[in-house]
Amino acid sequence: MVYYLLLPFLSILLVVLQTSIADILFSGRLILEISLIVVIYAGFRFDLVKGLILAFILGFVYDCLSGSVLGLFTFIYMVIFLCSFFVSIMFSTEKLYFIALFSLICSFLKEILVILFYNLTYGLVIVKKTSLIFPLQAVLISLLAVLFFYFVHRTEGFLYGKAFQSTERARTGRLSEET
Amino acid sequence: MFLKKYKTVIFVVAILAISLILLSYNLKHETGTGLVKKVVLEAAAPVHNILILSVKSVSNAWLRYVFLVGLEHDNRDLKKKIDELKAELILYQEGYLEAQRLKKLLLLKDSYNYHFISAQVIAKEPAALSRTIMINKGSAHGLKAGMPVIAPPGLVGRLTDVSWHVSKVLLLIDESSNIDVFLQRTRTQGIIRGAGSRGCILQYISKTQDVKEGETVLSSGIGGVFPKGLLAGVISRVDRQDAGLFLKINITPFVDFSKLEEVLVLADQEEGN
Repeated sequence: MVYYLLLPFLSILLVVLQTSIADILFSGRLILEISLIVVIYAGFRFDLVKGLILAFILGFVYDCLSGSVLGLFTFIYMVIFLCSFFVSIMFSTEKLYFIALFSLICSFLKEILVILFYNLTYGLVIVKKTSLIFPLQAVLISLLAVLFFYFVHRTEGFLYGKAFQSTERARTGRLSEET
Repeated sequence: MFLKKYKTVIFVVAILAISLILLSYNLKHETGTGLVKKVVLEAAAPVHNILILSVKSVSNAWLRYVFLVGLEHDNRDLKKKIDELKAELILYQEGYLEAQRLKKLLLLKDSYNYHFISAQVIAKEPAALSRTIMINKGSAHGLKAGMPVIAPPGLVGRLTDVSWHVSKVLLLIDESSNIDVFLQRTRTQGIIRGAGSRGCILQYISKTQDVKEGETVLSSGIGGVFPKGLLAGVISRVDRQDAGLFLKINITPFVDFSKLEEVLVLADQEEGN
């Protein structure tokens, strides 16, 4: 229950933090989408309901604070969460290179969905404008994801003695058997 | 039963549907800032403010540090500049003082119809017995032994040893120095002899003569070494108590021998005068 109560506040904190850091480091040219990495992490480690709510709230907060159409990132984050969730069932998600590759794919997927959405709804062609930024951002996210997963793994090891796994998922998921 | 079995699937579908409905609704109606969005924005504002404040303070501290580093560098540069300017100022002051001394020498030069050779004092004899100085001119410059040496405001001594480029000057205060002089006021003649650190003594002035302290003593020109009228000194003490025929008179030379830097050597008398 505490998780669901804290989730909106933590989501706001995370989105504000990532926007501010990106503003300081890249003067708004690039976005440090740690929220996307958190969604991927949730897809790998959380159970479906818990993770989907996280993706929903995080996407909604991102929509509210980024100024995009309300519901766009909510939907995209949920799609990415579901992808991560099903991938984590099929593959081992412990390897850092896999995390980097998957984050890169997810980042591209997100960008493609955004481009498609703006193209289909407003007829905007933003591929030319962002053709350089999107790959750069995707690489940045994949690198950050590796760092994020590594530090989270270390923290979990420090706190619980082993990597964290949602209880429901630990009972049923394939991932739990491997870790 | 069905709902219980597929509750997770239903939940996923429902939440996806909600997000799509939200998206399409917002696309169609462009609701602007809704209530929930307002709440999120309001909640985000303090977090944003705190972050901006902390970033600003860190950035200010960094800028201040950079500024202080620059200031330290500037300070070092300015101190260096001050030292350079101080050295330059000392050089100018030295030049000014030298110019003043040379001006006095020139004034002295104008007072006499002699050919003058200017020279710099390069050494002072430290021995207590002999009072001599060395100058940087010699026979190569036309100097000869016995030539009188003057400096503002008057007599210094005479050349005793002349080398090619260096000469020795026997000072007025040397105990072996004797110069024929007269008192400016009474024109009474006498011999001035060096007395070392005490200055000079005026000899052979009869007790009957009217001699007063503070009187000026000038070279008489007798003997042919020193020209007439050079300032030798001033009477500092007259002792009439001493047994004997002559007065015991102490003379303080006009020239401060401890501060001599440039001197003029009186060479031959200029032609046509």
